[in-house]
Amino acid sequence: MAEKAQDIGHLVDEAAKAIGLEIAPQYRDSVILNVERSLAIAQPLLVVDLDDALTPAPVFRP
Amino acid sequence: MNDILSKAATAAEIARAVLAGKTKAGAVVEAALARIAAAEPAINAFTDIVAERARKRAVEIDAGKRRGPLAGVPFAVKNLIDIEGLPTRAGSKINAEGPTARRDGALVRKLEAAGAVLLGGLNMGEYAYDFTGENVHYGPSRNPHDPTRMTGGSSGGSAAAVAAGEVPLALGSDTNGSIRVPASLCGLFGLKPTYGRLSRAGSFPFVDAFDHLGPMARSAEDLALAFDAMQGWDPDDPACTDRPPEPALPRLHDGIAGLRIAVAGDYFARNGNPECFEAVARVAKVLGVGRTIVVPEAAAARAAAYVITTIEGAELHLPRLRLRPQDFDPDTRGRLMAGALLPGSLYVKAQRFRRRYRARVLALFDEVDIVLAPAAPCTAPRLGQVTMTLGGVEMPVRANLGLFTQPISFIGLPVVAVPAARAGTLPIGVQVIARPFNEAAALRVAAHLERQGVCVSAPA
Repeated sequence: MAEKAQDIGHLVDEAAKAIGLEIAPQYRDSVILNVERSLAIAQPLLVVDLDDALTPAPVFRP
Repeated sequence: MNDILSKAATAAEIARAVLAGKTKAGAVVEAALARIAAAEPAINAFTDIVAERARKRAVEIDAGKRRGPLAGVPFAVKNLIDIEGLPTRAGSKINAEGPTARRDGALVRKLEAAGAVLLGGLNMGEYAYDFTGENVHYGPSRNPHDPTRMTGGSSGGSAAAVAAGEVPLALGSDTNGSIRVPASLCGLFGLKPTYGRLSRAGSFPFVDAFDHLGPMARSAEDLALAFDAMQGWDPDDPACTDRPPEPALPRLHDGIAGLRIAVAGDYFARNGNPECFEAVARVAKVLGVGRTIVVPEAAAARAAAYVITTIEGAELHLPRLRLRPQDFDPDTRGRLMAGALLPGSLYVKAQRFRRRYRARVLALFDEVDIVLAPAAPCTAPRLGQVTMTLGGVEMPVRANLGLFTQPISFIGLPVVAVPAARAGTLPIGVQVIARPFNEAAALRVAAHLERQGVCVSAPA
């Protein structure tokens, strides 16, 4: 678990750097916690298999 | 029939009295303003009160102008809906310092064209990313049934104002459950219409793919009155349907004959406290429903709704997160910053899954017209409560009050949340879910339940 938390911390630091989002040290723990929660909540979606022919729901009509 | 100047009067009763000349709109507005002044110290539903504007409108109505089906009905709107001359706070400190709105939001204009009178803007969770009704900038809206408890959110002020009897009608927004959850926790009727049915023009967005506006009230008739007044295509909202309006009021009291109704099982029958399932059972019994159906892949739908919400919401707010992170509510800031860092593949998968889920759920509506499900997994948590235990598992309150609402708004189905608690207990609601653009059927069921006495909303 500690290793996983460290990995998420690494992800947060690097991803934030990549998009130019400065995360102040006092906010970092909350962001890590919320990334962990988001990935946990997303789990039932991650395990779904989708057919290649399935296109995304939003349809853009020019 | 309630005293028209009392907190128990419904919008329909007020309009009938004003149109019949039995009551002046001016008197109705003054009574509402007095109730607001008395209730606000305890309830904290309003962030803005437009008393002078309301008095002017009332004078116009009493002079014979603006005499529509909502004549003289006081209402208020979640403060993410534009009110001319005021900043559109959207529950935030940042927007409160921004420009003032140059005109009212589309639905405010429609309600006022029908004779209703706007009294002000209502408290909400910051940027609508909330199920609790708590707000670090403006303080929490408080549940009128127990002010130590949450209203639910993010339309917390909307629910509190109606449940306290300050106004009979309020507008909220619902992206993942933000009308249905507070309606449930505060014992109200709330309508989340079909996605695209009502214009969102002149409101601050959260997640365009899921954002809906809708009414909250203490009767099904009031929901139908407001809904009918607000329907109609609006070119200012790209998602707004060009289908002709389909009024719900004319058939509201047709009863439930001919409607095939089922209870949602599986996902919707677990991960909640007993009171939410008991509420569904009570409603099902009165409707004579014995059938249970499974909404396929609801857990994945909830996950996908969460993913799309957090990523779209984060992208919307990224400029503010960069420039003014210190001015966010800490709970919102952490969630939005996290959303900005999640991989794009998650988002695309959620949108692809959404197409499959939509097709599978719409197929269910070949077999049934109405599906019943809990509106919230529990009664109102205490203010400040961070975690709760559902189905034996401890989980965060803020992210999970919408467990049962998210899989439904994910594909834009219309829902009426009905109050279904036993007398003397904290409120709890049930979702009455219909196929797209069949709000009228869900409202018919709500009206039937109200007539049967199982779903009744009285001001606290």
